[in-house]
Amino acid sequence: MDNTEDYVIEMLHITKVFPGIKANDDITLQLRRGEIHALLGENGAGKSTLMSVLFGLYQPEEGIIKKDGKEVRINDPNDATALHIGMVHQHFKLIDVFTVLDNIILGAEDTKMGFLQKKEARRKVQALSEKYGLQVDLDAKVEDITVGMQQRVEILKMLYRDNEVLIFDEPTAVLTPQEIDELMATMKGFAKEGKSILFISHKLNEIMEVSDRVTVLRKGRYVGTVNTKDTNKQELSNMMVGRPVQLEVVKTEAKPGESVLKVENLCVPSQIHKKNAVNNVSFEARAGEILCIAGIDGNGQTELVYGLTGLEKPSSGSITICGQDISHASIRKRGEYMSHIPEDRHKHGLVLDFTLEQNLVLQSFEEPRFQNHGFIRNDAVRSYAEGLIDKFDVRSGQGPVTKARSMSGGNQQKAIIARELDRDKPLIVAVQPTRGLDVGAIEYIHSQLVNERDEGKAVLLISLELDEVMSLSDRILVLYEGEIVGEFDPKKVSVQELGLYMAGAKRQGTEG
Amino acid sequence: MKDRNQKILSSLISIVIGLAVGGVLVLVVGLLNSKIGIKGAWEGVRIIFAGILSTGRDAAGNLTWGFNSSNLGNMLFRATPLIMTGLSVAVAYQTGLFNIGAPGQYLMGTMASLMIALSIPTSVVPAWIVWFLALLGGMLAGAIWGAVPGMFKALLNINEVLACIMTNWIAANLVTWMFDISNFKNMAEGTKSGYIYKTTYNGVATAKLGLDKLFPGSQINGGIVVAIIIAILVYILMNRTTFGYQLKACGANRHAARYAGISDKRNIVLSMAIAGALAGCGASLYFLSGNTEFFWSTYQSLPSIGFNGIPVALLALNNPVAVIFTGIFMAMLDIVGLQLTNLTAYNEFITDVIIAVIVYLSAFSLVIRMWLAKRGKKKAEKKTETETKAEPAEGGTKA
Repeated sequence: MDNTEDYVIEMLHITKVFPGIKANDDITLQLRRGEIHALLGENGAGKSTLMSVLFGLYQPEEGIIKKDGKEVRINDPNDATALHIGMVHQHFKLIDVFTVLDNIILGAEDTKMGFLQKKEARRKVQALSEKYGLQVDLDAKVEDITVGMQQRVEILKMLYRDNEVLIFDEPTAVLTPQEIDELMATMKGFAKEGKSILFISHKLNEIMEVSDRVTVLRKGRYVGTVNTKDTNKQELSNMMVGRPVQLEVVKTEAKPGESVLKVENLCVPSQIHKKNAVNNVSFEARAGEILCIAGIDGNGQTELVYGLTGLEKPSSGSITICGQDISHASIRKRGEYMSHIPEDRHKHGLVLDFTLEQNLVLQSFEEPRFQNHGFIRNDAVRSYAEGLIDKFDVRSGQGPVTKARSMSGGNQQKAIIARELDRDKPLIVAVQPTRGLDVGAIEYIHSQLVNERDEGKAVLLISLELDEVMSLSDRILVLYEGEIVGEFDPKKVSVQELGLYMAGAKRQGTEG
Repeated sequence: MKDRNQKILSSLISIVIGLAVGGVLVLVVGLLNSKIGIKGAWEGVRIIFAGILSTGRDAAGNLTWGFNSSNLGNMLFRATPLIMTGLSVAVAYQTGLFNIGAPGQYLMGTMASLMIALSIPTSVVPAWIVWFLALLGGMLAGAIWGAVPGMFKALLNINEVLACIMTNWIAANLVTWMFDISNFKNMAEGTKSGYIYKTTYNGVATAKLGLDKLFPGSQINGGIVVAIIIAILVYILMNRTTFGYQLKACGANRHAARYAGISDKRNIVLSMAIAGALAGCGASLYFLSGNTEFFWSTYQSLPSIGFNGIPVALLALNNPVAVIFTGIFMAMLDIVGLQLTNLTAYNEFITDVIIAVIVYLSAFSLVIRMWLAKRGKKKAEKKTETETKAEPAEGGTKA
């Protein structure tokens, strides 16, 4: 290949040290002109640090950066912009109360005698938006538009600044499947035009689909760079985790027992619109099976879980667990029958300013083993926490006294799962338990859920990821606009078929 | 442990900064004022730093220093209500609430305490029981007055700061009105109007517990002991009990607390009620001392002791035990201000400004703490840098 030498960006032997941790250790990354280069690694592997070095947010202790073959120093994001390097951050950097157009030109405004020249800017943004098929409403406020559209705004920001190196930091984490497809197409379009793309991800499917080459990092070190067409998912995940990983969930045939959860004609009101978010839903979850509620985000999954767990009052219908009617029971009462791995680990799952051990007893601090006449038994809490940390391999800086806020997302989730599974309740409600986690952690959480099933628990899994739904569940219910539109056996249904039900194009006459 | 040292250090640094700036201010004001001059200014600076130990002037007109039992005793006496309002603010803050309603709770506590102490005849009920009932009444009134904004917050999600500001002024007017139609107004001592009888009128007063022998000539009584015990109890409540755990969980993340089956609404109301009870108790301890008189026509102003609970809590970084010390420190500034006015040509207004500046800067301990933490991090970074530089050399030889 004659373009081997044509590197637009070279990061050579980059080392970046933070107190107590070497985030990047002698990492080399070479980006060819016009390629989509994926950067793959687990949480905490150093991907984001490396990109922050390239974007000028951090200064490396060692190593050099070359742009078009010439060594450059990038001291801050302004330098990066001057070198036509742009970045879409994982958490968007947009001002919610500004319009889309204002956000795009912010920091690169054209002025005449101190007055903004918005007309010119609007023309340029419109042209870009049409050229790349990035539809946005320029006059809408950012707070009013969807996450997918916000991402398009971020992309337009880069294009408006004539960037030729585009960094995407975990761009698909927040998108719906359709939006992901659109993004992939857009990225391919950019590459065809000669723009170079760095794509940070730990989702193997996407990397296989869109990238030309992949560089893998593990624990801050460089593992290797491979051509995407010469590799496969298994090899990549082994490189990423450093040991052979089980991509498929191993599980035996389910042996469903008696009914644990029985939901009848449940209706839960919506906080957003006047209709019911969950409308007349009935189903049953049995011991020893993983029942999955599939559906596109926003079709009533959240409200269904709120209604079950008591975070929201159902407007009608009944919920029975183990023969007990809990339709009107308090959250605490319901907690006696179910573990709940919540959808939003920062909002519901953890008290971020509490320590890890305090979080681990959040559900159980009033049990006699942790308190004596209202006084907390600190030693009992400590030894219990140490046991759980050990058993579930929760990693943190200072063990039980680490502040939850300072832990990585994967370990925060592990802490929640440790707490909930250890409570040993007949029903486990797991809402997107693997969202935002890397392959190693997902493998672990899946196997834990299968274990719980095999021990005779009923597992109610709510997931947006079809891969997860297909591989983990024993039975699938599809939720569309708050109603169950179909029941399936994962072995007898195709992903395409499920997709039609999830999109509302088909529905079964009555529930099976 | 290291964390705790850093907290204490940050509070001490902010106190020193506050005093130093106060000293500079005294110096500047003194030098600009021909009546004070260099000598007076230097005296002023010394009083700012050590006024609590000043014993007046000798025959030659020089400042004298030593153990001033009345100053020290009065300092502890004045610290008592400050510790209580400081606790009130600190407890609320630990549970995620900003209790700016301490003045109102303090006023309601005052009213309840005084009315109980003056209306139950000690000829029938023993004085110590009346005292105790008055203390409980003050706490209860404060608790109710704290619970009101708590309920607005819990049930209607109305910001507690807004509700507290309103309940403050309602209390100010309510108390004036209630005393106005009462027969507790002290008309007996001819020249006085607008004051309520001292509780000693009914023979009710806080026990001295021998402290008056330790600090002769001061107003001190057993109230300070009660305040210190309550501070320690509050510390235990917040840090050692499941109840404190629940309150703090609700404060730190209301949603997570609810998720875990903790009643967030109940706990918000309880937090505010406890905060209110503490402020009300401060008022009881102050006015049950027997030698304090309440100026009941309060409808145009709120008691500064209530607001001063905020800097007391801030300086203590909301730790209940630390509040004991910061409350005493703030009371010391009070005494220092009096000394400055009494012993030098500085008038009370300049003194007030200077003391306010010291209080203001002292409350900066949070900023200082962040600065210390940052500095500590940089040091650690440098340390690991040198350590990791040494490491690759070892790795190299292995390879």
